Amino acid sequence: MAAYVPLLILFLVGAIIVGAMFTLTSILGPKNPTEEKMMPFECGSDSTGTKHVKLSVKFYMTAILFVVLDVEVVLLYPWVVTFRETGWHGLMLMAPFMALLVVGLLYEWKKGAMEWER
Amino acid sequence: MSFELMLALSPVLIVVLGGAALMLVEAMSTKKPDVDESASSEIALGTAMTLLAGAVAALGVWFYGPENLPSAAALAPYFVLDRFTLFFTFVLCFGGALAALLAGGYLPEHRLDRGEFYPLLTFSVVGAIALAAAADLLSLFVALETMSLGVYCLTGFRRGSTRSTEAAVKYFLLGSFAAALTVYGVALIYGATGHTDLAGIKSVIRAFSANAGDPAVSSRLAVLIVGMVLVIAGLGFKISAVPFHMWTPDAYEGAPTPATSFMAVSVKAAAFAMLLRVLIGGFSDPASMSWSAGWPPVLAAFAVLTMTVANVVAGRQESVKRMLAYSSIAHAGYLLVGVVATVRSSADGQGSVLFYLLTYTFSTAGAFGALVLCGSRGKEAVTFEDLAGIGKRHPAAAAVFSLFLLSLAGVPPTAGFFGKLYVVKAALGSELYVLTIVLLLNSVIAAYYYLRVLVYMYMKEPMAGAPIAVPMKSGYVAAALVLAAMAIIGIGLLPGSSLEMAIKAALS
Repeated sequence: MAAYVPLLILFLVGAIIVGAMFTLTSILGPKNPTEEKMMPFECGSDSTGTKHVKLSVKFYMTAILFVVLDVEVVLLYPWVVTFRETGWHGLMLMAPFMALLVVGLLYEWKKGAMEWER
Repeated sequence: MSFELMLALSPVLIVVLGGAALMLVEAMSTKKPDVDESASSEIALGTAMTLLAGAVAALGVWFYGPENLPSAAALAPYFVLDRFTLFFTFVLCFGGALAALLAGGYLPEHRLDRGEFYPLLTFSVVGAIALAAAADLLSLFVALETMSLGVYCLTGFRRGSTRSTEAAVKYFLLGSFAAALTVYGVALIYGATGHTDLAGIKSVIRAFSANAGDPAVSSRLAVLIVGMVLVIAGLGFKISAVPFHMWTPDAYEGAPTPATSFMAVSVKAAAFAMLLRVLIGGFSDPASMSWSAGWPPVLAAFAVLTMTVANVVAGRQESVKRMLAYSSIAHAGYLLVGVVATVRSSADGQGSVLFYLLTYTFSTAGAFGALVLCGSRGKEAVTFEDLAGIGKRHPAAAAVFSLFLLSLAGVPPTAGFFGKLYVVKAALGSELYVLTIVLLLNSVIAAYYYLRVLVYMYMKEPMAGAPIAVPMKSGYVAAALVLAAMAIIGIGLLPGSSLEMAIKAALS
């Protein structure tokens, strides 16, 4: 446990510095609010619209497709690298995995998850 | 994969492959031109058949004997194929199949006819089976999430209804929070013991108690205890024990009724399987099981709170579905008594929990099914008032509903009576007299609100001008109810063989 004491001190010092900076600026800083200043800052231009923007579900579909195929690649690389060592046994283990992914891909395709303009 | 391994895994493989095939069939099927719905009732039948085939395969492996399939041992501890797993596979598949049959009637009736329901259900069952089989905290967590993700979607299946969406969001947020607590606990347990497999954890804790005075051990013990508390909190959420039960009534009420039935039956059974695996597999050494320093007092307090609070609140509900939701919380309390009874005799306690879960599966799935049956589109039976007079107008519907409620109340000769009897027997065997008395008192309170439904159905007439519930006509729902009713009467008249199986499963 004693090994973690420096870490705890680091956290405490960090919290104190950040807390002190925020409280001191709010106490010491001059306050001269105008309507212009109180507006939300958005890259210097006037902000438009509401903060809740409805995004099309298509973006989520694409993101999920990406994640699925991305994770697949993560699992494929070690297999490819060790292909000679794992041999038929490795192929037999990877084949059901790939087959299940193909089933998922077919499902997405048939359900129209890949049609952007619809 | 050897033939032997294929045979050992056949229940899971059947459900996985069947689910994938049905998912493709549903996606490939041509939609009806006039409505934006897919023809999913047929898929309901296919799903029910797949899951029943999984249950039958589990029985097959049971009678072949998992000890005769040594190559399956290579999968341990990530997937342990013992009689415990097979028993739960049977219960979980059966619960899923009943929910699929109910959905086959319910979804078209309420214009929710979308085929996605069935793959979600099937893959949740796969996760639930993996959960019952996991004896390693890592595969346990993966299985838990596999099961939960499907159920979150099923809860929010009525997309047009704000109730259903609220239920799904609530369930998802609290469920993820509980999962995070569990993982945090798992991380701490791993940090303290250096093991994620439950057998390894158990051996390290034994070593801890052997040299208790060592300061290095006592600091690791503190980490271990915090981890154990977090894991038990996460498990308590999943079984909806009382301090963690707040999500249950809302999620159960908002979900479409077949999904509610699945949550109350299979998800709860899988959660109890997980609880037993973790407690008996990892924390069953004398120190963890002691009344002064271990988990028994915590779970006993959960049991008392769960039974009492759930039963008192259930009696005050006006919605029958919400009453059944609270009743399922109360049953989790009765089951916890059985879990605490494992302290003295692991076989008796676990056996009583397993047998109770079997009887509870059929009674609860049947009760929700009868609720589905009693309401057609636009005329759902929601409150007690809606059920008034059903006994005279639709005697068959009222009769099955009464059977399931009597079984839930534990009236002989239904299956529910024997379930309660063996939990009480296990509790008395472990000298848990206070818990037993609380359980019996609660059964009396519970009888009040179960019988209240019967009073409304048989002895009251609907008020003039009030909407009258009209039972739906669906072969699927009828089939589910007949299956559940046969099981309840069968187990009620001949409880011996299934109880023997439960005890055999507990001994494995």
